[in-house]
Amino acid sequence: MVYFVQRNSSRLFLFFCATMASSSGNDDDLTIPRAAINKMIKETLPNVRVANDARELVVNCCTEFIHLISSEANEICNKSDKKTISPEHVINALESLGFGSYITEVKDVLQECKTVALKRRKASSRLENLGIPEEELLRQQQELFAKARQQQAELAQQEWLQMQQAAQQAQMAAASASGAQQAGSSQDEDEEDDM
Amino acid sequence: MSQNNPDQEDQTSGAKKTISLPISRVRLIMKSSPDVSSINQDALFLTTKATELFVQHLALSSFNNGSGKETNSLSYSDLAKTAEETETFHFLTDILPKKILARDYLKSLEQMQEEEADF
Repeated sequence: MVYFVQRNSSRLFLFFCATMASSSGNDDDLTIPRAAINKMIKETLPNVRVANDARELVVNCCTEFIHLISSEANEICNKSDKKTISPEHVINALESLGFGSYITEVKDVLQECKTVALKRRKASSRLENLGIPEEELLRQQQELFAKARQQQAELAQQEWLQMQQAAQQAQMAAASASGAQQAGSSQDEDEEDDM
Repeated sequence: MSQNNPDQEDQTSGAKKTISLPISRVRLIMKSSPDVSSINQDALFLTTKATELFVQHLALSSFNNGSGKETNSLSYSDLAKTAEETETFHFLTDILPKKILARDYLKSLEQMQEEEADF
């Protein structure tokens, strides 16, 4: 299958240029990752077979949509004498471009995001404020370390004592055994001295 | 998608309403628009969510109006058709060339050349 633009030749020229531009990897090559789009399509149309070229198309439509919203929001922003595109600008852009039906849900998500961020900040400060100040926590930690070191030392000492005892027992056993031998081996020793 | 904003990790709490598209990527695309300078973080969230809704909207519309309903499939031409028929999706027609066979294209190219030769 060959794809062409069904318009005049100058438009075709632009189409080819666009294709060449994107293959050289400039900014306009940016798209939402295919996997994310595939996932969304699957969730929206479960059990539907979606052609590969259709998926590719959706990816590009996303980029186009984002540009559309950004440009419109940017224009609205410029008119309002502000330098940064605000949520208000985006909402107005959606409205004027015919996507007003998205507004309620989009606003809800914003609220949700803010709440989540707030909760996370609270949670981290809650941890700090368990009622125990940091120095106290540090002190407790040092105590635990010291205790652990002590236990280790005691353990090592016990082992050493056990080894010593075992060695002593072995020596004694060896001594009593050789004591019995000594009576009969003094001859050997004399012989050894001569050599 | 390690580039995701940490907010997205909280999909387990109040799941449905959080965002699944990568916010940082959306920001990059917005910034590649001519003239766009700075974007408020909240505005970025809004745009990302709107893009998600757009994908769902486009997919559903195309499927419902398309020829694939009986066979439970969605094709390129379903999307192209919806873009042409739905006004809010008109902006997509530029990137949705209708596919035509090469021989038909060559024919129309010949015709155009003949027309130009007449001048």
